[in-house]
Amino acid sequence: MSLSDRELGDLRSRIRFKVCYDVGFYCPDVDDIVQETLTRFLLAERDHKINNPEATGAFVNGICRNVVSEYRRRNLRNEQMPEIVPEPPARGLPESDVFELRQAIAHGLDQLSDRDRKVLRAFYLEDKSRAEILRQMGLTDENLRVVLFRAKERFRAIYTQQAKHRADSGH
Amino acid sequence: MGVDFHADHVNREELILRYLERRLDPGAAMEWEDHYLGCAECFEEIRATELLIRAIGMPVVGRRRVEDVTVLQFAQGTHLLAASLELSELAQVARTPNETKVLIDLSKVSRIDSSGLGVLMSCYCHAINNAGALKLLSPGPKVRQVLSVSRIDSVLETFEDEAAAIHSFRPEV
Repeated sequence: MSLSDRELGDLRSRIRFKVCYDVGFYCPDVDDIVQETLTRFLLAERDHKINNPEATGAFVNGICRNVVSEYRRRNLRNEQMPEIVPEPPARGLPESDVFELRQAIAHGLDQLSDRDRKVLRAFYLEDKSRAEILRQMGLTDENLRVVLFRAKERFRAIYTQQAKHRADSGH
Repeated sequence: MGVDFHADHVNREELILRYLERRLDPGAAMEWEDHYLGCAECFEEIRATELLIRAIGMPVVGRRRVEDVTVLQFAQGTHLLAASLELSELAQVARTPNETKVLIDLSKVSRIDSSGLGVLMSCYCHAINNAGALKLLSPGPKVRQVLSVSRIDSVLETFEDEAAAIHSFRPEV
């Protein structure tokens, strides 16, 4: 198994997301943890230690969990937490990209009907069960599937576009 | 044999939601991570769901304070019709107990129906009953026409300029 540059880039994005999920999006060491995970994975691949290529995700997850645990242990051992944790320098998207993303999100939202937005709010934000939503909105299970599918399709397109834009601009 | 995350997209969506809200038990979260770290499609679904949640979580009616007046403004172009989400949010925001001096910016409203007018009047009554006032800012031509035909413009003061509208809330000396 050998990964192309693109596959490697995609894997890095997934690991990054998982690391941010574990240590927080503002952790200043996210990139180091991601890099360490990738390095260990590539070494294992080079040494043919991946027995089941079908379970690559689980293999990467195992490495990532180890790296995160080591990072946490090291932090606990070596450093005392300062009373006020300084905010790391912003390393997010440039202002113009954030604006573009906001515009894209607003546009995606604009394309949804009021009923769809109500259904989506109930599903994602109001912590209602599927049965409750169907009963309150007078929908069938199939209606709900269509609403979710339509909305996801739009926002998947926004995400794909953003990801492509970031890859092209090297962010 | 593990879970087939691709079998039902609504189930997967519920799983993603619980994962993002950290409500999955550790075993299920690990199984899901094992999967999405190797599955481009499911990872894309997580990111799309994040964006979608962010979008629907955006306030539809923005609120800011100028002096002691609350200015309500719609985040994007909208219709104030019976079924619209903006209308129910406007009613909710404008009728909170401490909102008594309210200026509603209608510049982004392109249509209004009787339900919209009803909500405006009910917000107005709420303000008056609490010794306050409710006024309107910059309605577009169509909305202005509806306000005029229904004669609501004789009750609800309308302004074109925000500074003048804010000034009008000050008690006359």
